[in-house]
Amino acid sequence: MSQPTGTERSDDETRGPLSNWVDSAIKNPKKVYRAMFFVVVIFFLITTLFPLYWLTMIALSDSSRVSEGVGLLPTGFDPSSFVEIFQQIPLHLYLFNSFVFATLTTIFVLIVASLAGYAFGRLEFRGKRTLLLTVLIISFFPPAAFFIPLFQLFTQQIAFLGLTPPELYSTPGGVVVPLSAIFMPLAIFILTTFYSQIPDGLEDAARIEGTTRLGALFRVIIPLSAPGVATAGILTFIAVYNEFFFSFLMTGTAAQDWAPIVDGIISYQSQFQVRYDLMAAASIVAVVPVAILVVVAQEKIVSGLTSGALKE
Amino acid sequence: MATEQRQQQQGWNPVSRVLNWMEQLSEEAYAYLLLAPAFLVLFTIALWPLWRTFRVSLFADNLFGAAKTGGFVGLQNYVDVLTNQNPLLSRPLIDFTGGTPFFRQALLVTLAFAIISVVFETLIGFGQAYIMSKEYRGRRWVRVAIILPWAIPIVIQGMLFFLLFNPSVGFLSDPLQAIGLFGSNPLTSSTNAFVIVTVADIWKTSAFMALLILAGMQSIDKSLYDVAEVAGASPWQRFRHITLPLIFPALMVAMLFRTIDAMRIYGIIEASGAGCGTVPSLSCLVVDTMFGVTQAYASAATIAFITATIIALVIGGYLVVLKLSPEGSYQ
Repeated sequence: MSQPTGTERSDDETRGPLSNWVDSAIKNPKKVYRAMFFVVVIFFLITTLFPLYWLTMIALSDSSRVSEGVGLLPTGFDPSSFVEIFQQIPLHLYLFNSFVFATLTTIFVLIVASLAGYAFGRLEFRGKRTLLLTVLIISFFPPAAFFIPLFQLFTQQIAFLGLTPPELYSTPGGVVVPLSAIFMPLAIFILTTFYSQIPDGLEDAARIEGTTRLGALFRVIIPLSAPGVATAGILTFIAVYNEFFFSFLMTGTAAQDWAPIVDGIISYQSQFQVRYDLMAAASIVAVVPVAILVVVAQEKIVSGLTSGALKE
Repeated sequence: MATEQRQQQQGWNPVSRVLNWMEQLSEEAYAYLLLAPAFLVLFTIALWPLWRTFRVSLFADNLFGAAKTGGFVGLQNYVDVLTNQNPLLSRPLIDFTGGTPFFRQALLVTLAFAIISVVFETLIGFGQAYIMSKEYRGRRWVRVAIILPWAIPIVIQGMLFFLLFNPSVGFLSDPLQAIGLFGSNPLTSSTNAFVIVTVADIWKTSAFMALLILAGMQSIDKSLYDVAEVAGASPWQRFRHITLPLIFPALMVAMLFRTIDAMRIYGIIEASGAGCGTVPSLSCLVVDTMFGVTQAYASAATIAFITATIIALVIGGYLVVLKLSPEGSYQ
């Protein structure tokens, strides 16, 4: 692109740093894009992080003075809430429970949805649209619509096709099994989309070299769809880790009964007093494992197809 | 060569025997085999409970006896709910007579919420995905910061926005009240509480859209952009003719599931302190009727199925538009 450059550069003595910058920006419009880009980055950082910053200020406030109002700085200063959260309840056990639910569900969903996503995305068969639509329809229902039959099944009040499963209530199974079904449709749709975009040539090449059918899925399709798989994994993990409905109702309220984080956080509010500072501190601690996971998993969400893999 | 190897292994290694058997299947049979685990799970854990719930919706409520339902009434429950004749509902689903205010009708509240939140989340998600996709120093931390709201438990998200708009603790209530946007206690006014719930949801869930759009962007072959740049395409042209068509499938999945989720909104309404009485959504009616003071299972099951039908109509609209659109090759 050619720009009419520096025609009015006569008044050298009046030029400050700003007009200098404007001048060079006119010569080089990329610089403007770059500046605008970082303005947008900062805008999004402020909007996403500000509520979390304020949450930290609540956690650091003096517990007796939270009700006076918390502004941009804590009201009073008392970081002991980060210790007290572990003294009142075994918070780490609640975190562990939710972490187990999320890990098991994510692994299970990714494997089963990968098989289904491969079939939907890359194979031709009769009834494909109907089956895909069935998967979608399941996600139309409010979770409450599944709850009572599953609760009765997991507490052994009713049988399924004449079979009574072991009592799953208050076990990881009671949470992982329903949540796997509930988060499966999204994972299947994400993986179907990404698997279908891999060119056939790459898979054919692997097959000619003697890779089995399943091997082609796990060694070619999944690695090439890493951004999609990582995204499906992150979305499922976080959704289960924070899930509110099934993990809350299918378990007891104590940590040893597999209660999730939500139970732990709620236990800081009693009938007479709500400890906002403790709830805030506990949630900040609870976010740490997810933040670490995101730091690791986001490495996979990069363009992996730059080195000519797509050029057949 | 490969077949020779396989024949040698056959007979003693059960794993390669299974793999070998899979090689022999037709494409269709192989597809059904791969779908079997998913549909086994979905059938047992989703379709079977739904069938039972549907059956319950055909019976009368039994509020006082030991049994959960009374006699068979056919579709009467559906007629009652849709014509606003069911006295157990805390708020009407929809009132065609116009006697109920807009924010007291669950269907209208839900649709308004879904449209506003999905539009904003898509636009913001695009912006966020764009800044997460470029390469610069510190990108990793920008990504973490943008995804972080999605990692906040709904109870805390609710508490956060409850406190921000709480007249005594938070600092947002006073200025908004001063400029006349909000009333003195925002969380008890339907319109104000609706705005708060929507803002809370957009804050948290834009990251969901952003992640999916980002994954779509990162699957695009970068050499396409190099070619476009050499050909003199402006950034807007590159976006319009390369990015948009290529991320279209991922964008559609994101919008479909985001719309479905928005139409099932429940958790943040309760957790933010607004409550189902102030901002009644469709899922609110289901939960209130099922677990509230009444425990009317048949009515709750009926509303759950009506909710799913309404979502099906909206999603059906999406799918029709998709088919008519130029990029509509999806599935």
